[in-house]
Amino acid sequence: MKVSRVQHSLIRLILVMVVIFVISGAASAQDNVLRVGMEAPVVLDPALGSNDPETALNRAIYDYLIEVAPDSSIVPNLATDWTISDDGLTYTFTLAEGVTFHDGSPFTSADVVYTYNRLKELESSALALLGDFEISAPDEQTVVFTIPEANADFLYGVASRFALILKDGTESPNTIGEGDDPYASFNGTGPFLLESFDPNVGGRAVFVKNDNYWKEGQPLLDGMEHVYFSGEAVTAFDAVTTGEVDFIYKVPTSLVADGVAEGLSVIEQPTSQHGVIRLRTDVGPGTDPLVRQAFKYATDRQQLNDILLLGRGTIGNNDPIAPAYGVYYADDIETQTYDPEEARRLLEEAGYPDGLEMTLYVPTAFEYVEMATLLQQQWMQAGINVTIDQRDAGLYYDTSNDINYCNVELGITGWGDRPVPQLFLLEAYVTSAIAEDCIGGFNETRLSNPELDALVEEAGVTTDTEARADIYRQIAEIFNEEGPIIVPYFANMIGVASNRVQNLTMAPFPGLTDYRNVSLAS
Amino acid sequence: MTTGQTSAESSGTPPSSTQSTSSFSPLAIARQLVRYPLPLIGTCIVVLFILLAFIGPMISPYRFDELIPGALSQPPSLEHYFGTDRLSRDVFSRVLWGAREVIIIPGVATFIAVAIGTILGLALGYFGGWIDEIISRGLDSLLAIPALVLALVMLGTIGPSRIGIIIVIVLLYVPIVTRVIRSATLNIRASGYIEAARLRGESTAYILFREILPGVLPALAVEAALRFSYAIFLTASLGFLGLGVQPPSPDWGRMVAEARQNFSRSPWELWFPAGAIALLVIAVNLMADGLRRIFRYEGQMR
Repeated sequence: MKVSRVQHSLIRLILVMVVIFVISGAASAQDNVLRVGMEAPVVLDPALGSNDPETALNRAIYDYLIEVAPDSSIVPNLATDWTISDDGLTYTFTLAEGVTFHDGSPFTSADVVYTYNRLKELESSALALLGDFEISAPDEQTVVFTIPEANADFLYGVASRFALILKDGTESPNTIGEGDDPYASFNGTGPFLLESFDPNVGGRAVFVKNDNYWKEGQPLLDGMEHVYFSGEAVTAFDAVTTGEVDFIYKVPTSLVADGVAEGLSVIEQPTSQHGVIRLRTDVGPGTDPLVRQAFKYATDRQQLNDILLLGRGTIGNNDPIAPAYGVYYADDIETQTYDPEEARRLLEEAGYPDGLEMTLYVPTAFEYVEMATLLQQQWMQAGINVTIDQRDAGLYYDTSNDINYCNVELGITGWGDRPVPQLFLLEAYVTSAIAEDCIGGFNETRLSNPELDALVEEAGVTTDTEARADIYRQIAEIFNEEGPIIVPYFANMIGVASNRVQNLTMAPFPGLTDYRNVSLAS
Repeated sequence: MTTGQTSAESSGTPPSSTQSTSSFSPLAIARQLVRYPLPLIGTCIVVLFILLAFIGPMISPYRFDELIPGALSQPPSLEHYFGTDRLSRDVFSRVLWGAREVIIIPGVATFIAVAIGTILGLALGYFGGWIDEIISRGLDSLLAIPALVLALVMLGTIGPSRIGIIIVIVLLYVPIVTRVIRSATLNIRASGYIEAARLRGESTAYILFREILPGVLPALAVEAALRFSYAIFLTASLGFLGLGVQPPSPDWGRMVAEARQNFSRSPWELWFPAGAIALLVIAVNLMADGLRRIFRYEGQMR
């Protein structure tokens, strides 16, 4: 029988894959290089790149002034110490000494001033928690932030994952150039140097250890590679199972439900990460709060949790404040009931007596496509008929594409972990977060509610935990009554790592995972 | 060929049709099939699948997207012949419904591609000249593009849809069919009976479709069957790559792709659609093989 070109290309593909597997397998047995599988990065500028692979890339090359530890506490980094004035309006940071950038130049307070002013200039999402601030450098080892009013989350703002310290004067960081050193603009003080970089699916970022790293003895690894897969979880899972990579995260529950291959371990981390089913509030049927309520009643969260997470998640309400936030999570708010009849009635009241037809856009990430499939069935009971349109996650989150998470009327969006609930609210649900193409603000629903805006602002300046918790409860109630989002459940972040990987603590936002103390057993 | 020419010249009827009545006699074909029954089996399977594509939804116990309460990832049983999947849907019903996607889309696409390719091939082969040169070289350059790459680019830009898949398959197969038909036409054009028809003053359309077309039919039939099998394979591949029909479509390729995630928990979710694709492609290939044997048999008779 003649072999068709389809078969030909498949055979070729398989051969290439076999070769890659053999080569990478042989390589990984020898060197002390950690390979991490992830999606491909899109936005490379540290002040703007927001997702896991983008953050992971920057985390390797750059340093933060201060950091959020996996338990949500603030820990020192380039700033070894800080003091807060009694009125809570002046923050003074003392910087580490003897730190140099990859190009050999010394790290000084001017670099910090430049970095934070640049965040302001670019209207980075870091401003969500930083708010209005002035920064100055009295001397080379000191920086001072002054803010106009108290900000309970200001340190989290300083530790924002966008606030990677750049060299003073760097205009376009992370731009692949030409000539001898195309990676010259990837110039940080971080633990790794970028050696080669192909930011496409199938490509990888290769890092080598920074021998002059300012933290004594770190990093323990000789190098690290970020291997870029498509959004399909099973591809990355196959790669970690065959040993092509040593660590992956964002693994669907179903893949690890019956255990993993020998030599691998499952890591679980409670997080505030969640998928939202969201409606636009400025165009389409979602402009009507009755329709939003109908969607909430039409969604059977219990079934989603039972089937997709095998019952392991926590049922969510209609707001992003997760149980992982402890006191700020209002666990006594009654969980939304599943009532398709009520949904039908609400739709009729909203002027859709014959039901509603919409397209549900869904990125190929986590279990979202499956979630869409179940939602289609559930909503049908309430007269909401959706057509599913599945999109590659990388393309869907890139707002330069015609159809993306920022402009569709009805879609599912994955939201990564945030150390404080305030961040979700400021980045995505207040009026000031409405931005063209969701650059500089991620208000994908265009929700604009003055009452909510005021409450969020109040929560930002309230330092008393109990009073703050009360504000968050009110916010959750507003979301219940008229919010444009449904949070079906909160799931743990799941990672799978080879048992060779030592001392790895996966961050709740896995792109922020710190690899400086990680080592590989031989 | 001599007999054919003589009969054509004397009777004025296309020689190939005369040939086919004599050499494609049911008895001869039956003898051939008894000696080598695999094509018959293949054809029966293909017919069965095509039948399923039309009546599958009527005889399936559940809808393809129906969630069955409490039936999550259950192994095959008398209640669910092929088991249930990770979203508690009946795999047997999904495979039945999926026959529609996997047979009708490639079927329609192959039909269009073969129709266009035949007309184009006949015309190019018959008229020849510089237009033939230009178009043929153009089509040859299309042949150089790998099928999956073209499909990925096209469906990536226009978005995955049934129409999109059909367009891709047509674009891919028109050049191939054209080339086959063109070269068959070139052979026939040289024969005397075409010259005779032209001298008789027959219209071009008459010559193309009544004189030449019957002559290229054997090549056409084999080519169409082969194209159909590759089209099925390509459609399933595209479904597997997520470029096929959108979820919750029971397209077999997509089912295989989705089932991979759950392979450790419910492997039957993968076995049945994968098996169905394999069986169908093999059956169509056997059928094509049979057609070729029948036409070669004709060649031996001469």
